[in-house]
Amino acid sequence: MTQRITIDPITRLEGHGKIEIFLNDEGEVANTYFQIPELRGFERFVVGRPVEEMPLLTNRICGVCPEAHHMAAAKAADAVYHVDIPSTAKKLRELLYMAFYCTDHTTHFYALAGPDFIVGPDAPVAERNILGVIHKVGLEIGGKVIQMRKYGHTVVEMIGGRKVHPCTSIPGGLTKGITEEQRKEIEEMGRWAIEFAQFSLKAFNDIVLSNKTYLDLILGDIYTHQTYYMGMVDENNHPNFYDGKVRVVGPDGKELVKYAPHEYTENVAEHVEPWTYLKFPYLKKVGWKGFVDGPDSGVYCATPLSRLNAADGMATPRAQEEYEKMYKTLGGKPVHQRLATHWARLIELLYAAERWVELATDPEITSPNYHAIPTEKPTEGVGIVEAPRGTLTHHYWTDERGVVTKANLIVGTTNNYAPITMSIQKAAKSLIKKGTVVNEGLLNMVEMAFRAYDPCFGCATHSLPGQMPLEITIRNADGEIVDVLKQFVD
Amino acid sequence: MKTLVIGLGNPILGDDGVGWRVVEEVARRTAGRPEVETDCVALGGLSLMERLTGYERVILVDAIHTGQKPAGTVSRFLLSDLPDLTAGHSASAHDTSLRNALNVGRSMGIPLPEDSQIHVIAVEVQNVYDFSEKLSPPVEAAVSVAVESVLQLL
Repeated sequence: MTQRITIDPITRLEGHGKIEIFLNDEGEVANTYFQIPELRGFERFVVGRPVEEMPLLTNRICGVCPEAHHMAAAKAADAVYHVDIPSTAKKLRELLYMAFYCTDHTTHFYALAGPDFIVGPDAPVAERNILGVIHKVGLEIGGKVIQMRKYGHTVVEMIGGRKVHPCTSIPGGLTKGITEEQRKEIEEMGRWAIEFAQFSLKAFNDIVLSNKTYLDLILGDIYTHQTYYMGMVDENNHPNFYDGKVRVVGPDGKELVKYAPHEYTENVAEHVEPWTYLKFPYLKKVGWKGFVDGPDSGVYCATPLSRLNAADGMATPRAQEEYEKMYKTLGGKPVHQRLATHWARLIELLYAAERWVELATDPEITSPNYHAIPTEKPTEGVGIVEAPRGTLTHHYWTDERGVVTKANLIVGTTNNYAPITMSIQKAAKSLIKKGTVVNEGLLNMVEMAFRAYDPCFGCATHSLPGQMPLEITIRNADGEIVDVLKQFVD
Repeated sequence: MKTLVIGLGNPILGDDGVGWRVVEEVARRTAGRPEVETDCVALGGLSLMERLTGYERVILVDAIHTGQKPAGTVSRFLLSDLPDLTAGHSASAHDTSLRNALNVGRSMGIPLPEDSQIHVIAVEVQNVYDFSEKLSPPVEAAVSVAVESVLQLL
């Protein structure tokens, strides 16, 4: 008798997803499906609008990373107008972006990864949340997380004009700059952010890496896949989240390709499966061979760990030290253990904080030269940034007035749809065996497989009231409910 | 009582924008009342908790999709009446639940309204998957009902 386990939303969710696990007659996992509801019609929605509105509109696609959409859209709009923006404008945008990264990576680590690794993957449900993290690490940590978020929001507001949904990037640069007084304040907050990132890495070291059970979990086979890795790099092959070329390395760590934003269509194609609306991007030059590992499979990953795997080092000194330590501890490059993504995310947090201070102390940052008036006729353009959840590509076509005629977006999480699907399947197959009692702790460990990717599904903003309840239903072949597991407390 | 009326949702995602529409009207109807502030945001979890800092009373207006009531049905309840579905579960796209975030904030000593002062006005919706600035007809018709529901609380 085939059994079916569904991890399913019971009400409206924050970009909800559904995991279905099918068991065979032996009680082992036959297959898994990870489905994401599609938000429809964005491309249609934007046709007929001036391209300079895109940085404002696209940052409404998603409630989690509006800053990333704002930046990718602004860069695509610059490209549409063929304008090279002044260096002060680039630096201001990147500075805003670094502050956003610090906020975003901090939230993920303490609210999502922390509960699994600091409180414990099979800890009682009521404790496995950010409050449990605070109880375990100490009240002080909660205050620091709130402070880090506040500083991040403050810088976004100073440069971006408003919190969370910035509005100052336009084709050619920005609508405003910063004063010396603001610069000083930003620098001071950035220095605090460096200390906070170092504190976070120390906590990870003390609590996670020194715990053999956790280290075994990270290094074990359950959460390991050998795929290609993608990340944007600067001219030294160091990760850069705002600008550069997209580099892809193979499972052996060797460079496959390094492409400029406008060359993305030659490098990324999309595979369609009958059971989901969302497409699976893959590397065109390697080809789609199914949900399989290895150098012959075009599946790639675009995450914090991928960005580090795709780079030759970090651009800032403290992050470089941590980078070296991670690869030394985990046995060299590239690292294929997906749970190490949490570690990589903290190294990126430190890099973003260091880069924040570098930019805040750059002599050009307060220059009034933050906008170049576009003079070329608008046509077509591509903008790419690294969103926290993966490479984010915006591509617009306009008529000669700059009115959008067509748009194409590949968002961060979409890159990772194939590897997430593979990770869920492998974790489920490894953990659910004949005779296994499928309990909440075990299903949480299946979910950890996709939580490492920090997935952000439909960009559906939020739900009432910002919750993501799940229900797991186990069905037999006749569709009868055998058992119901509720993954929440009330 | 220092009150914040907050519209939640995505204004370009069809019925998800109903919270904004309601609160924009509430803002017009409460102009000149300094104790009542209004705002429209697309936030959840920790970010939403941070926005509630310093108020004695909060009214959240949002879309809800239970599939069990006709579209346009307006409900009123306290946030604490809802089960905290994700208190121990962090499968959320990127954050924690508002209830949990409020607990975090309170344990940090952040001034936040009491549970008995966090009200929710929810409008049952039907289309939240298609990008559009328009509400579906039953949800559009519910805007004035929800506005009255908010005003009764003020």
